[in-house]
Amino acid sequence: MMKLETFSYLTKKVNEYIMITSDVDDAVARSGIKKGLVAVIVAHTTCGITVNEGLPCVEKDLAALFERLVPLEDDYAHAHFLPSYGATGNNSQGHLKSALTGNHCLFPVVDGKVVRGGAQDIYLVEYDGPQRRKVFVEVLGDE
Amino acid sequence: MVIDMNVHPVCYKAIYDEDEFHRNERVFGFGLMGPQDYDEIFTEMAVGGVDKKVLHPMDLTTTEGCWVVTNEEAYKIVCDHPDRFINFASVDPHRPDAPEVLEAAFEVLNAKGLYLHPAKQRFYAYEACMESIYQICERYHKPIMFDAGLSWEPNTPTKYNHPLAIEEAIMSHPDIRMCLAHFAWPWVREMVMLMIKYPNAYTDTSVLYLDSPEESMRRLFTEDMGPLWFQRSFMHQVMFASNTPRFRSFKIRRGVEALGLPQDARDALLGGNALTFLGEDDAR
Repeated sequence: MMKLETFSYLTKKVNEYIMITSDVDDAVARSGIKKGLVAVIVAHTTCGITVNEGLPCVEKDLAALFERLVPLEDDYAHAHFLPSYGATGNNSQGHLKSALTGNHCLFPVVDGKVVRGGAQDIYLVEYDGPQRRKVFVEVLGDE
Repeated sequence: MVIDMNVHPVCYKAIYDEDEFHRNERVFGFGLMGPQDYDEIFTEMAVGGVDKKVLHPMDLTTTEGCWVVTNEEAYKIVCDHPDRFINFASVDPHRPDAPEVLEAAFEVLNAKGLYLHPAKQRFYAYEACMESIYQICERYHKPIMFDAGLSWEPNTPTKYNHPLAIEEAIMSHPDIRMCLAHFAWPWVREMVMLMIKYPNAYTDTSVLYLDSPEESMRRLFTEDMGPLWFQRSFMHQVMFASNTPRFRSFKIRRGVEALGLPQDARDALLGGNALTFLGEDDAR
């Protein structure tokens, strides 16, 4: 069976790490599924989902790394007017950081609980905020 | 005080109607955006350090048979949060009851100015029908914001938006402060000429049709214009604006801040000039 929940987060900064581990745990508990897999998938292209140790210093180092890899100012091809939006695309930095981060993560579900390593937390990472973001949590398995 | 002078609240959830939203996507020319609630709007204002936004409705009665945000809807948003929003009025100059619509917006809805879009509303600012509208603005001491230069909205012949087509209105009504939005881009030099000639001529920074915010503002303030023109010649005639939802205000702000303007010029641009334009700073 499959159970899908959709979460909405209003990010508050241009770049932001939002820990969503407990929301995923709760969604799995509500699903009634005892054995299977949980997928956490973000519905956007300028933010990402990542797994790492839930420490501010780790967040800071990750943010600094991504800023070095993808600086705000560069000769981005995406910085032009986009007819489909009626707006200028000025979020290349967000797109590229998102691509490097990935849009999802997966965890096993055993005995109705998410099985994570002791240091593993799940983050929604904003790279073009503030915006309201949608995250899908899909639980697949058996009751 | 930082004031964003050019905001189209087409995506504001407070006035959201699904059918109108999709119609506005076509009429206003935008896509892949969704309605925003006040939490999201205020969060974005906080990131950009924007205190207030000036909201522009658009009356397209004779050209499109509709409004893209009505005067009443803009007023409703202001009533919800009077400390964060300022409403302008709109009126289609070619509708027979244009004077009545405008007076009602000033009298009943307390609109702080008039927004006009010559290209979208298909009028020249020097047409005879405009005189009664200008007289009402003079009588109520209300400024006018003209869309000028490039407009992305569909069905907008740019000849109506040329700054020289608006010059006679500026010249003939020196008591009305008139802003030509978007630096009348690409006619930046013509806009500069108007600001030199007419102290009641204003413009705004909502120019991001090319490149990044930093590149766009740098080109505007140091290449399209001489690098000291703004500070030396019309420091009190340029206002901060974004043209939201096309361009996000905190990104335009980022581009403005990257200019490294002197404090007095920066303060004037970000809010001081807007207060004067709105008639809320009589001392200047």
